[in-house]
Amino acid sequence: MSRTAHKLAALTVLAALGACDKPGGDPARQYGPNPYLPEPKQFLLPPMSVPNAVGWTVGQTPSTSAGLKVQALATGLLHPRTVYTLPNGDILVVEGNSPGTEPYRPKDFIQGKVKARAGAAAKGGNRITLIRDANGDGKPEMRTVFLDHLHSPYGVALVGDTLYVANTDAIMAYKYTTGATRISGPGVKLTDLPAGPIDHHWTKSLAVSSDGTKLYVGVGSNSNITENGFAAEDGRARIYEVDRQSGAMRPYATGTRNPTSLAVDPKTGRLFAVVNERDEIGPDLVPDYLTMVQEGAFYGWPYSYWGQHVDVRVHPQRPDLVAKAIKPDYGLSSHVAPLGLAFSQGETLSPVFANGVFVGEHGSWDRSPLNGYQVIFVPLVNGRPAGNPIPVVTGFLAPDHKSVRGRPVGVALDRTGALLIADDVGNVVWRVSAAGSGG
Amino acid sequence: MERSLKGPTRVLLHPRFIGAGATLFIAAFATDAMYCETSVWQWANFSAWLITIGLVVALVATIVLVIDFLTARAARLQWIPFLLVAGAALLSLINALIHSRDAWTSVVPQGVMLSAVVTVLLLIAALRGWRVSTAQDAALGDRA
Repeated sequence: MSRTAHKLAALTVLAALGACDKPGGDPARQYGPNPYLPEPKQFLLPPMSVPNAVGWTVGQTPSTSAGLKVQALATGLLHPRTVYTLPNGDILVVEGNSPGTEPYRPKDFIQGKVKARAGAAAKGGNRITLIRDANGDGKPEMRTVFLDHLHSPYGVALVGDTLYVANTDAIMAYKYTTGATRISGPGVKLTDLPAGPIDHHWTKSLAVSSDGTKLYVGVGSNSNITENGFAAEDGRARIYEVDRQSGAMRPYATGTRNPTSLAVDPKTGRLFAVVNERDEIGPDLVPDYLTMVQEGAFYGWPYSYWGQHVDVRVHPQRPDLVAKAIKPDYGLSSHVAPLGLAFSQGETLSPVFANGVFVGEHGSWDRSPLNGYQVIFVPLVNGRPAGNPIPVVTGFLAPDHKSVRGRPVGVALDRTGALLIADDVGNVVWRVSAAGSGG
Repeated sequence: MERSLKGPTRVLLHPRFIGAGATLFIAAFATDAMYCETSVWQWANFSAWLITIGLVVALVATIVLVIDFLTARAARLQWIPFLLVAGAALLSLINALIHSRDAWTSVVPQGVMLSAVVTVLLLIAALRGWRVSTAQDAALGDRA
């Protein structure tokens, strides 16, 4: 009897080893509304592939598509994640990283070490830096600490004279007056957010509804795929709508594994999100996505992906919820880790980028060959993503893909319409503008 | 029985360590079975730790077995118990990798299946008191 079991085990091992060796296919097959979805695989060795973080040498910059130029707006930051432009043109840079989670399983030690090689473990500043470039030449006249002693901050949004900062455990509200270079008051808590213990996906993204009455906040799951238990997922993997007056929150959309950036379309008022999908079932599963967020919709996590594709790692299963899961709008291909989302504002960079969104792709850690590590532009047609993405800023990876100089995170447009990119490995904020523009 | 015929033998050190490691692997079968039954994630977490620590103890047991031979406590390797124990350790190494998956498939079906096979192999080896070698005759050992 044990001999048959032996044989079975040996076969299992061979099958699993075979699965490890297959590299990912062409990401282009997974762009758009109907991405190619291969059969899910179960691995013996957790697939991990990360480049070494080396940073930028002096004068070295990412590359841009034709007709654009790139400048370092600020360097030497502490793990910058989000960039945000205030109405007077001042730029806020949110510097933060995970509050630090205790490893639960033997695997967590190894995975933590591997990810740290690509710069994921660097200490965050837990602060917001203000950059002033009043004449818009990409050479700031001022740089100062705007708000300090935060708790793993990420999202930031200004409504009237109230500045909201999403720490990992709460949304804080601060009084802001135009032109202020420092916030001194302690702030008022608007509402608590799901955080520790574990706090696996710690970032809390923010956006403001078009009428200014509501905030949207993206809360990621507390695991890859419920391996830390269902109780740890209470109130997670969803986008909330928060009332600005009362702080009351309700789920706006659920089943979004890690909605790392939210943005409201200035033309239509619709809420958009980029979402990081699940890992470890293959180099081409599951595509991360960009979607217009439908109110009340369930996007599948953890039970299924891209509609009704069931994830067998979740137990007990919920066929009733799988049946309700809707497909997102637009696949960005697998493991690119989209962390930034910003709508273009007309032809400020190029006529090509007149109507669409910029997406910052932090880059893969569990896929070979590497994927992401760039800023792309996704065109919008009638307010919905359509057509192939266009690479805008690349060159974050060294040509041999063995080392990485920087990793793009948050994106935003400055007052002049130039594209700002937070780079949390290079610790730089990059500014991309039309090659012919001043400065 | 052998002892009465051949006189006193030297004390083997390795069976104690094999016994300790085997206990952990067999415990992992119990926690795997609980996870299958309950879907409560903490059981799978226990299994992952039990197998990992079991492998560390298996490494120690291997070193102690070598010491048993180097210090002339062990005489001859007994192939059947040795292969049972070594097979259990190798399968547990694979099982540790399977248990590094996330959630249900870290245990079901391959994880718990391997834990069961390992348990059977180790219980058979237990019949020999976890000994994988014969002990050196005491008088001979003293002479050497």
